Amino acid sequence: MLLETSRFGALEVDPNTVIIFTQPILGFQEYRRFILLPGPSSFLKWLQSTDSGDLAFILLDPKSVVPDYQVNLGEQELAELAATRVEDLDIYTLVVVPQDPSRIRTNLKAPILLNMKHRLGKQTILDNSDYPIQYYLSKSAERVASKGVPNARTDA
Amino acid sequence: MLVLTRKEEESIMIGDDIEVKVLNLRENQVKIGIIAPKSIPVHRREVYLAIRSENAQAAELASDKSIAELINPPEKK
Repeated sequence: MLLETSRFGALEVDPNTVIIFTQPILGFQEYRRFILLPGPSSFLKWLQSTDSGDLAFILLDPKSVVPDYQVNLGEQELAELAATRVEDLDIYTLVVVPQDPSRIRTNLKAPILLNMKHRLGKQTILDNSDYPIQYYLSKSAERVASKGVPNARTDA
Repeated sequence: MLVLTRKEEESIMIGDDIEVKVLNLRENQVKIGIIAPKSIPVHRREVYLAIRSENAQAAELASDKSIAELINPPEKK
């Protein structure tokens, strides 16, 4: 199917690559189908809605900023995503990119869980964790760049 | 708003499968137990609202310039 998007123009979407959200991204109840697209660097992805070409999120691999980032999920929640272990899931966090780059942040409290094998996803809330809803990336940006991200400039 | 008075250990049923139970009362705090199907997410309202607001901001398509800042952080002087 052909999807007209505001960010990527017209996209040819293979229906087999569409991820169904069992629970919505909070506030986006009507948008349950997404595709994952490569982001501008290895630790970023685009989550493009196929219900609306205007809706896209930037996803971050949280381990790129918090290397020991951990998600504990109950059996029920894993089962909802047809998973048996947390390792079956790809875990991302949503990034907010405001005009002021010093306020770029990610939501570590409510990660996006994706089971890419079964094409299922959801946003969960880590009720028992102290991870912040607003984790500012400005301090860690330098650290990420120094890991040798392909697109990153070096100071050399 | 429907208002019901309940004592400790008493419940309210919402439909067939949601039970809201008053577990414990203290001067300034009430402990509430909720039994609901797993398909119905239950969250503290202020957390729910904060995450919803953050999600809405995440959905605002950022300018390419800002994204570039994220990928290529400004060089330190």
